[in-house]
Amino acid sequence: MMQSTILKKTSLDFLSRRDWTCPGAQTRPLLSLIAGPVLGLVYMLYMPVVFLSFLIMLLPCIAIAKSGAVVLKGDSEMCLGCHANEGMIRKLKDNTTLSVYVNAAQVSGSVHSFLGCNDCHKDISMANHPADRTFKNAEDFRATTAKLCVKCHSIDTFTAKRMHYQVITQAKAPPCVECHSAHSVQRVAAIKASESNNDYCLGCHKKNIRISSTQSTVSIDGSQLHSSMHKNHDCASCHTGFSKETHPLTPFANKRDHSVTLSGTCMQLQCHADKTVQVAGSIHYSMLKEGNLNAPVCTDCHGFHAVRNKSAFNTMAGVPCKNCHQDVFTVFAGGVHGKARLNGNSVAPLCSSCHHAHDIKATVLNEGIKYSCLGCHKRAVVLHKKWLPEAALHLDSVSCAVCHSPDAGGMVFLRLVDKNTGKSFTESQVIKLLGENYPKELIGPMIPSNRAITEEGLYAIVKRLNAGSENVKVTLIGSISVSRGIEAHNLTLKQHAVKECEQCHSAKSDFFSNVSVAVIKDNGEAELFKVDQKVLGSTYSVLPANQFYALGSTRLKMLDIIGILLVVVGVSFPITHLLIRKVTAPIRKKREEEHK
Amino acid sequence: MNKIELHPLPVRILHWINALSFLVLIVTGIQLRYREMVGIIPFRPAVDIHNYFGFLLTGSYFLYFVYYLATGKIRLYIPDLNLKRLLMSMLIQAKYYGYGIFIGDKNPFHAAPDNKFNSLQKLSYDVVMGVLMPLQILTGVLLWNVKGFAKWITMAGGLKIVDITHVLVSMCLVTFIFIHVYLSTLGATPLEHIKAMFTGYEEIEEEHSH
Repeated sequence: MMQSTILKKTSLDFLSRRDWTCPGAQTRPLLSLIAGPVLGLVYMLYMPVVFLSFLIMLLPCIAIAKSGAVVLKGDSEMCLGCHANEGMIRKLKDNTTLSVYVNAAQVSGSVHSFLGCNDCHKDISMANHPADRTFKNAEDFRATTAKLCVKCHSIDTFTAKRMHYQVITQAKAPPCVECHSAHSVQRVAAIKASESNNDYCLGCHKKNIRISSTQSTVSIDGSQLHSSMHKNHDCASCHTGFSKETHPLTPFANKRDHSVTLSGTCMQLQCHADKTVQVAGSIHYSMLKEGNLNAPVCTDCHGFHAVRNKSAFNTMAGVPCKNCHQDVFTVFAGGVHGKARLNGNSVAPLCSSCHHAHDIKATVLNEGIKYSCLGCHKRAVVLHKKWLPEAALHLDSVSCAVCHSPDAGGMVFLRLVDKNTGKSFTESQVIKLLGENYPKELIGPMIPSNRAITEEGLYAIVKRLNAGSENVKVTLIGSISVSRGIEAHNLTLKQHAVKECEQCHSAKSDFFSNVSVAVIKDNGEAELFKVDQKVLGSTYSVLPANQFYALGSTRLKMLDIIGILLVVVGVSFPITHLLIRKVTAPIRKKREEEHK
Repeated sequence: MNKIELHPLPVRILHWINALSFLVLIVTGIQLRYREMVGIIPFRPAVDIHNYFGFLLTGSYFLYFVYYLATGKIRLYIPDLNLKRLLMSMLIQAKYYGYGIFIGDKNPFHAAPDNKFNSLQKLSYDVVMGVLMPLQILTGVLLWNVKGFAKWITMAGGLKIVDITHVLVSMCLVTFIFIHVYLSTLGATPLEHIKAMFTGYEEIEEEHSH
């Protein structure tokens, strides 16, 4: 009956009960008042006798201890008559079995060695011994028996240890025995002294424990930690502020906040100083600085405790980029590089081969991608020169993917560049040059919208920028890159690459129908401002974009008109002169006759 | 009527090389610039042909220049330095082309080996050979290797300016060629001057010269 009552209790119920007392601790004040002096007298007179008697009684125990025999309290010997049997099991309701073997040596060596079995297992006696299928499962058994702990260790004793209190007062708190074990309970101080820092942490964190407020797990797979690149580090090396002595309450708002904060530790500790510098200049870090917590941090790619060797990422399966860029990775896998990898070519590039791992930039204006291509395809320039006129110029101003990923399309990117340095202006530099009181109606088209910048607008913007500083000369430099970034990863074999010049060098080329001014924001992202495609063929573009010209594609309309007029003059002069000569032929004939 | 050698052999050879180069460069140039409208040959060979004949014309131009300098015939191109006389001469020649030729006046200018060109011819050839051709050769060479001549192109005002100059000059030269060919038919017979450019000899009495 008592057992069934216990079974009905939830773990939360048992934690809420605080009337548990240690056995024999109940007192009777009146009796103590009378018996106190009497007992004091007896204590004084017979203390030596009692002490000697205690020594005499202890002698057999010392003798037994020296001989290695186990001494247990009370009726424990009787319990162990059966439970010392290593094969002893109990069947549970879920048809599993539970070992009910008790190692007597562990019990006698534990901090609870002074207790008998019945002091904890109060409800169990020979007359009332649980039968098979009493407990639902092993977890139910542990939870039920763990409730016995709080008979001595009141919940109030943990309020000073806030983290411990937070863990054990959870709705689904792990039973005490999860961390402290059942029969081999040791003093915490002894555990601290005997275990390494990491084993001490794992003592709890290898269990199924969660943060009470968010229910995020803080369980750690010890085997992952032991096989990680950081296996020789203490937990506290990364989890600064935590130690055997100090365990602050969880200071993180959520799991993501935890990851971001811990990744900040990776960078602050300077263990990876070179990578820290690279990451600090990356677009991912810029996004993070702007408050975008979805931006990847160290642990997103490298893992938390199972920090892997670089080689683990160098496989199609191990690429961490696909966690966020799955759409790109799927296209990449179908491309020439992805297929090569899948076919076992271990030198074929993966994401980081081109984009780098840590100093990732916005690809729109990133020349680094081209150099990544040329890094492997070392003969690319030479081979292009064999058939492509102005090969170096093409490689400078057209991204590789425009021709080698035919599905990716193409578009014109105009960059605001300092003529003196050749460097692109960032958004903040542009705003600085425009000045605080720049005319809003002028720069209105620069605000992202569906409204494209007109030819006059672009001219006015560059003129305004050039007026911003005497030392800065702004011009527009154009290049052609892909218009569909995802498809750009579907790189094809060279025999399928674009080779027809007409694909670009024609006024009807699609590549020139999509024009944008690209400005790099301070976070490294590229902001695109749509430009009216007429700009490329406009007289207004002659000065601001005087370095961008594609034969046949961006020809000036005004020049065509002048050309037509000149040809008309060239043709009409002879025709007109000839006609007049024909008309005046009779006059000449008449004069000739007169002359004769 | 005296037949004299008005056009020495080197001049004739270089002239026809120039003529062929002009023709090919005009056709391929139109092809490159207006690919979506003109489909005589594909873009890629058009680039090569344009480059080859561009250099052929450049070479021919320099040989022409060297020949005229070496033989002293460069004097043929030097206009009358007396401005008043020059203007009068041009006016008389223009009056002839614009009026006299229609009513049967005699050409006021008579070509001779040491005075081949009338004042209008001298002026137009000076512009063509002294201004337009050097400009065209210079911009053509820059456009032939944009990457290699990047600094020069920047100094010239940018790729777009260089291209505009090249195209504009070519348009002027096309206009010149129309008029040049027409005027070459104004001899005693329509083919007289043209024949002379093959044979070298021309009857210098009583013909028109262009």
